[in-house]
Amino acid sequence: MSEEKQLIQRMLGGDEQAFEAFFNAYFPRVYRFALPRLNGDVEAAREVVQAALAKAMRRIGDFRGESALFTWICQICRREAVDYIRSRRRHVKHLVLIDDRPELRFAIEAIEAPEEYDLVRQYGRAEVGRLVRVVLDRLPSNYGDALEWKYMEGSSVEEIGERLGIGTIAAQSLLARARIAFREALEQVFGAEAADIAASLGA
Amino acid sequence: MSDEDIARVLKAAGPREHAPAEVERAVREHLRGEWREIVAERQGRRRRWTGFALAASVAVAAVSAWLLAAQPQGAAEPVATMAVALDDVRVRGSWWDGWEVATAGRTLKAGESIETGANGRAALSLPGIASARLDHDTRVRLASADRILIDRGALYVDAGLESPADSRLVVETPAGAVRHVGTQYEVRVDGRAVRLRVREGRVEWRSPSGAVERGDAGEQLTIAADGAVSRAGAARYGETWDWIASTTPAIDIEGRPLAEFLSWAGRELGREVAYETPGLAADAARIVVHGSVAGLTPAEALDAVLATTSVRGRLDKERILITGGQLGNGTD
Repeated sequence: MSEEKQLIQRMLGGDEQAFEAFFNAYFPRVYRFALPRLNGDVEAAREVVQAALAKAMRRIGDFRGESALFTWICQICRREAVDYIRSRRRHVKHLVLIDDRPELRFAIEAIEAPEEYDLVRQYGRAEVGRLVRVVLDRLPSNYGDALEWKYMEGSSVEEIGERLGIGTIAAQSLLARARIAFREALEQVFGAEAADIAASLGA
Repeated sequence: MSDEDIARVLKAAGPREHAPAEVERAVREHLRGEWREIVAERQGRRRRWTGFALAASVAVAAVSAWLLAAQPQGAAEPVATMAVALDDVRVRGSWWDGWEVATAGRTLKAGESIETGANGRAALSLPGIASARLDHDTRVRLASADRILIDRGALYVDAGLESPADSRLVVETPAGAVRHVGTQYEVRVDGRAVRLRVREGRVEWRSPSGAVERGDAGEQLTIAADGAVSRAGAARYGETWDWIASTTPAIDIEGRPLAEFLSWAGRELGREVAYETPGLAADAARIVVHGSVAGLTPAEALDAVLATTSVRGRLDKERILITGGQLGNGTD
């Protein structure tokens, strides 16, 4: 049984720690998914994410594992955001994010094969930077966190192990897997090597 | 991809955004409540299915009886009525339903949420409860006839003089629950902090850890985000209570004793009714009033009714003081 399914079973069984783990793993990423789709409106994002996660919890018994749990929750969140915009009519201008475009959405959700386009040249630096962060969010939450702590905050492997509640060796192993997953996801979404992506970002 | 490449890409992309701490706290607490409900519902279903399996092995008749008993209790049953809906008031059935504009007279079912906008206010009528009123920018959910969840804003509960001494109504906030003992009180939620003001009677505050605090009339309990409870005095009347008057459900005074009307006005205004002499109290109980005070605030209604009698009355700090004059035979 996958870790996600184990977490769901524990949560539905009333395990408070499982609820906390679910919230900690999914709330930050779903919030980041919702926020740009709601024009950066924090209150709207709060409402939409709360509704999406509540609905996901109610229907989680129906989750079959055919996609990643995060992808499934994002689909719910996307519909909640559309409903919110329709019901409030506050965000008249419908936002179409580049990762909502069919070809990119497919690449991000399915992560199966690279598309034949040069994203780095096609879009600006800010959008590419945002897309890198989207890719990071699509990894398992502890992968994204570990990579951010290691390469952006400069945390040591020992510190990462402590923050994740695992040992140093386990943290080392997790970081290795996270690097591979991140590299593969970047290449699939961007169709470019990391060095090219870094160059387009001005790094 | 080398470590250096990863570091360059991540640093250039910049850090991921994080939700404000108060948003995260509020959503976490709200979802924790939802999750507990889901778990309770599932466990209830499981118990019923276990019961089914056992009963099936005994007798078909027993199964039939069990199936009847196993129907969800109170689900989607009417539990309240929208008594007052001012301006922007909306209702929705569930998370996946859209909001509908609500008007007075609407029947409200278990599971429905009510939301008031920046200009909206509302009053609900619940069985055994005189009224529950929502200030602007408030959202509540009617979990059942005796359980209201407040997500944000302020809810005022008037249990009424006739309510049972130990009412079952529980108001749940992200930080804990309030149970009252025949009273009027206001619960105001701001993120995970809660302010509880008791106007009459007594309330009991219960934190998620099970700690209990009691608040009496004239007291204000402030529950901080970390659960710490502080106390202060709170006036039972004045500007901070004025919003309640705008949502006072209409009262039918026709044919009722003057004393009953005065008692209602006193409760709405947060003041006791005091009679200058015992004779005045006896007379007020005998006098029958006629007419209508529809559309008037409690203070306006008090002036209007007293103006048609020989009774004089005035607001005297914490009291409505009824003084002198011969009582007439009634009002028109």
